Amino acid sequence: MTKVVIIDEDEVVRARVESHTGAEHRRLANKVMEQALGQTGIPFDEIAYIVATGYGRINIPFADRQITELTCHARGLVSLFPSVRTALDIGGQDAKGLKIKDGKLVNFVMNDKCAAGTGRFLEVIADTLGLKLDDLGSISLKSQKKVNISNTCTIFAQQEVVSRISEGVTIEDIVAGIHHAIASRAVGMLKRLKIEPDVAFTGGVAKNIGVVKAIKEEVGYEILVPEDPLISGALGAALMGKEIVLKAMAKGEAIKKAERRLVEASFFEQE
Amino acid sequence: MTEGLSRAKEIYQNRDQRARELKNDGKKLIGYLDIYPVLEMLTALDLVPYRILGDMNEPITEADSCLPTVVCPFLRSSMDLGLKGKYDFLEGALFAHTCEVAEKMAHIWRIYLEPSYVHFLDTPHTTHAAAQKHFKELLKDLQKTLEDFTGKKLTAEKLKTAIKAHNQQRALMRELYDLRKSDPPLISGAENLQVNLAMVSLPVEEGNELLTQVIGEVKQRKNNTPKQPARLLVWGSIIDNTALFDMIENAGANVVMDDTSMGYRAYSTDVKLTGDPLDGLAYHYLVDFKSPRTFRETVLSADKRKDYMTDLESRFSYMKEYIEAWNANGVILAGLRYCDTHGYEVPDLTHYLNSINLPNIYLELDYSKATLAQLRTRVQAFIEVIG
Repeated sequence: MTKVVIIDEDEVVRARVESHTGAEHRRLANKVMEQALGQTGIPFDEIAYIVATGYGRINIPFADRQITELTCHARGLVSLFPSVRTALDIGGQDAKGLKIKDGKLVNFVMNDKCAAGTGRFLEVIADTLGLKLDDLGSISLKSQKKVNISNTCTIFAQQEVVSRISEGVTIEDIVAGIHHAIASRAVGMLKRLKIEPDVAFTGGVAKNIGVVKAIKEEVGYEILVPEDPLISGALGAALMGKEIVLKAMAKGEAIKKAERRLVEASFFEQE
Repeated sequence: MTEGLSRAKEIYQNRDQRARELKNDGKKLIGYLDIYPVLEMLTALDLVPYRILGDMNEPITEADSCLPTVVCPFLRSSMDLGLKGKYDFLEGALFAHTCEVAEKMAHIWRIYLEPSYVHFLDTPHTTHAAAQKHFKELLKDLQKTLEDFTGKKLTAEKLKTAIKAHNQQRALMRELYDLRKSDPPLISGAENLQVNLAMVSLPVEEGNELLTQVIGEVKQRKNNTPKQPARLLVWGSIIDNTALFDMIENAGANVVMDDTSMGYRAYSTDVKLTGDPLDGLAYHYLVDFKSPRTFRETVLSADKRKDYMTDLESRFSYMKEYIEAWNANGVILAGLRYCDTHGYEVPDLTHYLNSINLPNIYLELDYSKATLAQLRTRVQAFIEVIG
């Protein structure tokens, strides 16, 4: 997913856009940016600063600076939940644990190259079960007795799901099992950072109420979930952008900006 | 004036070119793995030590027939190159017991490649006095096989001359590393690594000349490397390609120091010239090298305390010295997939670095450039945490 957040000087969110990322990052980046600008009615040139984050951060031709999603997520979460000390972000292709102290990222862990235990894993399983991704959460809540699903590999888990179906296990119990597989893997990773409250859970997978419940059970107490978990990274990027501008202004320095252009660009174009 | 540096880069990019020239001139080249084979003994008999390395850019296609996939990708790649005939200019090979897999590979290399000379140098895994004595005996065995192979006598005089030449290389290498203590460093980690890789591809005297030239050039430099907020030390087993350091340095850090078997580890101290030169060599190769492959027992403090922290201090305080001398503010622990020897050291080393409040991150490399992109996010985030 590609997301845009535009904030004003009072940190009020003026625009937010979410869209599926295709193969052509750059073309989409322009498109979502135009949509976001459309929401605000502000012309492109009046945006004070643009921070790009996430896997595609180097493919945003108009960004002034790239900052990793780890730092941006931490910043976004701190603005939403100032008490957060430990955070979990599960996105489409990876899972990250963040340790936050005094409002700043101090340590982190990331999953290995494998996509097991991420949003992609849920997509594969939803597909196998013939369900919609968005329905998984509510279905799992009906479970009476969740099954145990291996949490090490997406493909093996998919095969396990198929064999559970043939054994006659209900869909609800399988989906609940899948959610717990994700939760135990993610919380196991998070433990490497020593979990301290408050714990926040964000990223696209935090939209799934079944995974939220499973994470809560693994952690052992209540967790904080943003209202819109998809955009906490983009929100953090916007806030970092504001800080960069304010810092430069306080020092009386010129703001270092990239040479910006908001034109149709292709990922495949040679620069 | 960058002839020396260009030459080092050229050798790095085309390692075997000079080796093949030397062979055509009638020189005998002996391949060796890792830092434990005693190079002075080869040099003293007019043999050219040539380090066997892998190639990250070459897909492993042949080695799977003789090495299982649980063998570290570096050794599989090295064997793969051997099977593809890329080391066909080597007259023989000298292996040491650096790790279990390297031991097995020594025999597999012998069986598959049938070199005219092969010696496996058993290397004790402790530094006790008895182990040192034993290692000296093993060096005598090595001496005998080398004398049989060359038909020459390895005299103490010849050995001392070779030790002096290799000590000169160690001193020059330390001098080069010292040029990274400034901020910004005068030479980048990636450039320094190219020089290291050139050194293990050339006869020692030729290497020393090149190294002297490189040091002269680097000293003339002004602000070649950008000043960066993060000054990192990279610890690890073997890094024989500049891709990792390039990635780190492009992400906004300077690699100012390393502790790897391709880097400073082999150069940190000189071999002492002892009455019987084998004593000095045995001590150097067994005791001086701070590698996880050797169990270094805790040096007991005056009160005979032997707790975990004393142990960590005794094993890793040399790292603290590097960190202070090179003014590093972070450490990257670069593990290689399936390298148990280094992998098992990581938890203790992490505890030690945490105890001295030094930010550190563990990366598991799988000896391919393709996976560096994902690691770049971690490295960049690590730099953001430090900065």
